[in-house]
Amino acid sequence: MDWIAMATGFILILMGLYGALTNRNILRIIVSFSVANTGVNLVLVAVGYMRGRTAPILDEAVPMADAVTRIIDPLPQALVLTAIVIGLGVTALMLTYAYKLYEEKGTLDISKCRDLKW
Amino acid sequence: MVSPLYIIAVGLGAAFLLGLLPEKWQRAAYGVTLLALALMGWIAGSWLWAFALQGAAPVEIFTAGTQPPFAINFRVGLAEASLALLMALTGLHAALYMRDTLFKQGRRAMAVLLIFVMATCGVIFTRDLFNLFVFMELVVISTGGLVLLSADRRALGAGLKYLIVSQLVSILMLVGMVFAYHATGTLNIDGMAAAQVDLFKGGALAFFLMLMAVLAELKPFPANGWGLDIYESAHPAFAALFSAATGAATVYAADKLLLIGGAQWLPLASAIGIVTFVVANIFALVQDNDRRLLGYSSIAQVGLILTVIGQRDLLGEQYYFVAGGILLAHAVAKAGLFWLSGLVAARGLGDWAALRGHPVLVFAFVTFIALLVGLPPFPGFYAKWELAHALAANGQLWLLGLILFGALLEAAYLFRWFGYVLKREQPQTGLLLQAIKEDVALSAVVVAWLLAYLWGELSGQGNLLQAIPLLFALLFLPLDWLPAKLKNGLAVAGLVGWFYLHYPSYDALQLIFAAVMLPGGAIILLASFQTQQRRVGFYPAAMLMFAGLAMLIEAKTSFAFFAAWELLTVGSYFLILRGKHSEPHALSYIVFSLGGAFLMLAGFALAAQGVPDFKIAALAQVAEPFAPWVFALLAIGFMTKTAAVGVHIWLPGAHAEAETDVSPLVSGILLKAGLFGLFVLLMTMGKQQLYGVELTHVMLWIGAISALIGNLLAIFQEDAKRLLAYSSIGQMGYALFGLAMMNHLGWLMALMFVINHYIYKSMLFLSVGGVAKRTGTRDMYRMGGLITLMPLSFIATMIGIIAVSGVPPLSGFGGRWIFYNAIMTAEYRLPMVIIFLAGPIAFLYLFRLIHTIFLGQLKDELRTVKEAPFWIVLPQMIFVVALLVFALVPGMALRHVDAYLAPFFGGQSGLDWAGLTITSEFGYWSPVSIMLVIGVIFATLFAWLLFVNRRAQPVKQFNIVFAGERPFRPETTHFAWNFFAPYRKALGFLTQPLVTIFWETLTELLHSAADILRRMYTGNGQTYAIHLLAFVIIVYLLWMGGL
Amino acid sequence: MRIPWALLTLFIVINYGLLMTALVQKIGARVGRRHGIPIWQNYIDMLKNYALRTSITHGVMFYLGPVFRLSGGVGLLLFVPSIYGSEMFANFSFAGDLILALYFVFFGTLGMALGAAESGHPYSAIGITRGLSQMTAAELPFALAVFAVALQYQTLSVTEIVAAQQGGVLHWTLFTNPLAVAAAMMSFLGSMMRPPFDVVLAPQEIPIGPPTEYHSSFLAMMQTNRALFPVAKIVVYMNLFFGGAGSWPEFFLKVFLIYMVSAFVGVVFPRFRVEQSIRWFLIWAVPLGILAVVLV
Repeated sequence: MDWIAMATGFILILMGLYGALTNRNILRIIVSFSVANTGVNLVLVAVGYMRGRTAPILDEAVPMADAVTRIIDPLPQALVLTAIVIGLGVTALMLTYAYKLYEEKGTLDISKCRDLKW
Repeated sequence: MVSPLYIIAVGLGAAFLLGLLPEKWQRAAYGVTLLALALMGWIAGSWLWAFALQGAAPVEIFTAGTQPPFAINFRVGLAEASLALLMALTGLHAALYMRDTLFKQGRRAMAVLLIFVMATCGVIFTRDLFNLFVFMELVVISTGGLVLLSADRRALGAGLKYLIVSQLVSILMLVGMVFAYHATGTLNIDGMAAAQVDLFKGGALAFFLMLMAVLAELKPFPANGWGLDIYESAHPAFAALFSAATGAATVYAADKLLLIGGAQWLPLASAIGIVTFVVANIFALVQDNDRRLLGYSSIAQVGLILTVIGQRDLLGEQYYFVAGGILLAHAVAKAGLFWLSGLVAARGLGDWAALRGHPVLVFAFVTFIALLVGLPPFPGFYAKWELAHALAANGQLWLLGLILFGALLEAAYLFRWFGYVLKREQPQTGLLLQAIKEDVALSAVVVAWLLAYLWGELSGQGNLLQAIPLLFALLFLPLDWLPAKLKNGLAVAGLVGWFYLHYPSYDALQLIFAAVMLPGGAIILLASFQTQQRRVGFYPAAMLMFAGLAMLIEAKTSFAFFAAWELLTVGSYFLILRGKHSEPHALSYIVFSLGGAFLMLAGFALAAQGVPDFKIAALAQVAEPFAPWVFALLAIGFMTKTAAVGVHIWLPGAHAEAETDVSPLVSGILLKAGLFGLFVLLMTMGKQQLYGVELTHVMLWIGAISALIGNLLAIFQEDAKRLLAYSSIGQMGYALFGLAMMNHLGWLMALMFVINHYIYKSMLFLSVGGVAKRTGTRDMYRMGGLITLMPLSFIATMIGIIAVSGVPPLSGFGGRWIFYNAIMTAEYRLPMVIIFLAGPIAFLYLFRLIHTIFLGQLKDELRTVKEAPFWIVLPQMIFVVALLVFALVPGMALRHVDAYLAPFFGGQSGLDWAGLTITSEFGYWSPVSIMLVIGVIFATLFAWLLFVNRRAQPVKQFNIVFAGERPFRPETTHFAWNFFAPYRKALGFLTQPLVTIFWETLTELLHSAADILRRMYTGNGQTYAIHLLAFVIIVYLLWMGGL
Repeated sequence: MRIPWALLTLFIVINYGLLMTALVQKIGARVGRRHGIPIWQNYIDMLKNYALRTSITHGVMFYLGPVFRLSGGVGLLLFVPSIYGSEMFANFSFAGDLILALYFVFFGTLGMALGAAESGHPYSAIGITRGLSQMTAAELPFALAVFAVALQYQTLSVTEIVAAQQGGVLHWTLFTNPLAVAAAMMSFLGSMMRPPFDVVLAPQEIPIGPPTEYHSSFLAMMQTNRALFPVAKIVVYMNLFFGGAGSWPEFFLKVFLIYMVSAFVGVVFPRFRVEQSIRWFLIWAVPLGILAVVLV
């Protein structure tokens, strides 16, 4: 199971990167990055997954004493949560930029946005 | 003491508080922002105080009440505290600088600024990888926000490109991090370092990805187009933050990250760093937008710091001194320059000429440039010194070479820019002055000088800012408002006083050089009494040069020597730059000089082999295989200053275009610094062989060819000062030749040239300068017949040319006589042929000089010309007397040196000075008898002729036998232009400007390459993303493939 | 005590120079199938010129030109011993060695150039540029030869160089170091103002070159020098290369013969332009000089 998740994650990353590098439309680029981010998150979770263990929630089902042997590593999941939040922030910012750029230039084509160069 | 955690807390808290404030309370919001930043700075500062002065141990701050790896921990030590202070201060200054913008944008912008500063501090403090990622992302987001503060609409695009790239970076970072975690079971940096991530399967790749992510934030070549765009378009205050704060924080993050990888990853950092440093500097050569130029320079500097990080193991305990020195110098200078750029209205480099009306701003600009280039007394200078020594001691010569090459390029474009500031047309409304902005920029100047003092204290080499000559020179900065005459008096008194106090401690050689340089300089400065008004900038520059000279003579260690060398180079550069048309020439002077200085640095570093306090005298103990290389590097460095052929092309323009009283300073005095260096070098290292070639033999040829080429080019000049300048090349060639003969008399002859050349070249430059001042031209064919109008100048020139030509009875003959005696025992005879050829050629240009100016036909427009001003004539007359005295009793000065030199040549005295006759092994010479005999004959004949023709009276100038015709006009009758046409026909092929063509082609190649290659930065965000991916893949192939 | 003897030397040499130059001119004329001047013609010219009074001068340097010129000639003569082994005719050679003589040659040249230039006459300046240009190349083989000779005898003292050549004709530098002598004699041709190297005075196209504006006693002074200077210069050559002179008759003979070398060449060859003569010296004379220096 975990390798499927990991492979899917990497495929998503590559798809996202491909999309980000080939699409000219800024919105599509942003979406592509979202895809890639999702892939990254999947990879994170997949790395933390351990076969045959349960979720890292300490209640009656998983007593404190044998938690170490029975739950999966909780840390990657925490990372994913934070990464999602940060991803949201960056995506929001990029969308703002896209909006402003469209106001400014009337186009969302990234290749038209080349006033600064060399 | 408040916990450093409060730096983060204050930033965050204030940002949230701003969010709660009502929209209307702009002032309160601004006050909260300033207060928060000041508080953060205060906390950081207090910790810095504790670490630096009270020896406190680094503190660990644990969050969530547990130890790592179960919770995030911060560590704050000396480095962290100082960097945090830097962040907070740049942030505070940014807030002050952007006041108007912040008011316009409201409290949200202020909150973003606070978050930015807080996040950079977090990047510095944290010891947890994921936390590092979070803070870096916060920096990215707040950067994205702050970029929008710019008035430049193009910033939108730049910010988007930045975000695209940062998305890639975060993907790399996260993927790398999770696998590293998987391998080691911890996210704590120290824990991961202990676990040695490389040992695990896939661990190296995981670390590689993280490293790439952090390095990508450092804008490595080629993945740095986005950074340039931000620099160019962002608000200058944010660009300053982006350069100083983000750069410093990310560099520190990279430093931490490399702890994990361990030593085997360090070369990668160095490699990426040095490529970035060199390439960014090359690209910067063709920039004409100021902020983009600063961007390139920022990228280059960060690359340099990355290089230093890669050499961490080599540097040992010097690591923080070196890296910190470069980092802080870069941060302060770049912030200062960006702040200045906000005061300049237009974006071209030449538009900065607007600064010229404000000497304080010009001083700020100079400070920042010196800080960036690493000139003494700034931190970069000490750091560069230590770095070069560490690299040389450990055989990293290629790296050292590349660093110096890159630094030279950087100096070249920065000084070119400075030339624009002083020389380009000054726009009327070029400045957007605002008191607060000015103050912010000037505060960076203060910090720069404080850092200079601090690094001097830390260096263990002696603080340059405690050297009295340098302080004396700097004293003229605050005194610059005084009238020039007063300052001149002070300068003269200073020179003479210093010499008077110190001459008892000099040995004979030092005494000669010191006498020429200090009281000699004072005599030339007499001519400066001529100038009216304040003459802003002249005295700090001149006294800086003299400070360097005074320190050079007394230098005991290689460090002191090199520091003095750079000081005198910079001082003389400012002097030369003062000339009306001297901008390109001053630039070529400083580039050649710094190039030579860098070679010297490499030479000293190679010689020291890590010995911290390397004495000049210890050059004698340098052993194979370094010795010949050290010799060659130092010799080329010194020969750059004496303008030996091959590196001489800077001299004619620099000396000719300088002001009237500057030309003698830089010609008569400054050239001697190179000779002094060569003296020291030869006295300590003696003969050296490289691949079986005797290096002094090579110098012999260089000297001879310089003498020939200098003299030959001099005869074809139409410009009087250029003629004298080329003649200097020839004269220095003679002196070099004498030194390279490596015998007693050869050295004595070189010393004779030191004295003679000082006297007559100063005198000639002054008289020609005086004439040029009166006639308004330096073209000799426009003058003519001035003898009756400017008799004193004529006398000085006549005495001067007789002395230069070496005709008895004047002192030039002494030089020739010693020369002939010296070559009798020389080992090589062929170079003499060239010297013999060069000798008589001097007559040609000397005659041309005096004939076309003073003799021949007087032009109508010059009939009312007056004698040169008193203060310009006075030193000339002093020189005439000095020349006559020195001609009569050369032994007065030379016999002591002769005795001093004896130990170097088996204890034998070179000449016998008993009585009035000077005797050598081969011949003899009695200056007084010669003078007497010639004097008597001359006087007798003259008296007789006077008696015979006592009724003769001067006739009009056209009263000549003109083949039965009447001369048409003075212009057509004065034979002056293209004076030695037949000579050009015969030997003109030797004057092909091959050397000039060589150097021009080289610079042209660099510029065109830069202009073509920089087009890879297409401006398209996707291209930049591809650059980043390509960078990662290429580094992977090169590095992991090779691992 | 030396002064009267030095004056005597001066007197002898001036008279000899006047007669010899006239004689050589006469010989030259006879070669060209002319009768030539009377042998005392130089005396007549000089007396006449010294006797002329003038009211014209072009300024101070104009005055000083001939003074420099003649001082150069007299000085050169007096700084070199005329007669080997004679205390009386060693002149002022105590003041300096060979190098003094070498460089003092330029004293007159330079001074003359200054004086002539003040006249403001373009022909003077043109003549001077030609002269100086030619001199730079012509002096080179001589300097090399002197260097070779000094190396050969390991001294710069003229007296000692002559002393080293005593004891038979074969001890002369002419035979011990023929390359140096050959180079020096080529240089000698260039400095004697005779064809093919007389473009400086160039009597045809620029009336007498540098001295153009000089007349009356100014000119007379220069004529004196023209008699004196070649002899003084030949004395240097004689001492360096031809064993010096032990007595006045030997002196007269050797000086005459050495002078005749340039006269011989002069009547045979046409004139070089400046750049041609520069090339000629560099191509033909300098290599000999280099060989002499290297092979010593």
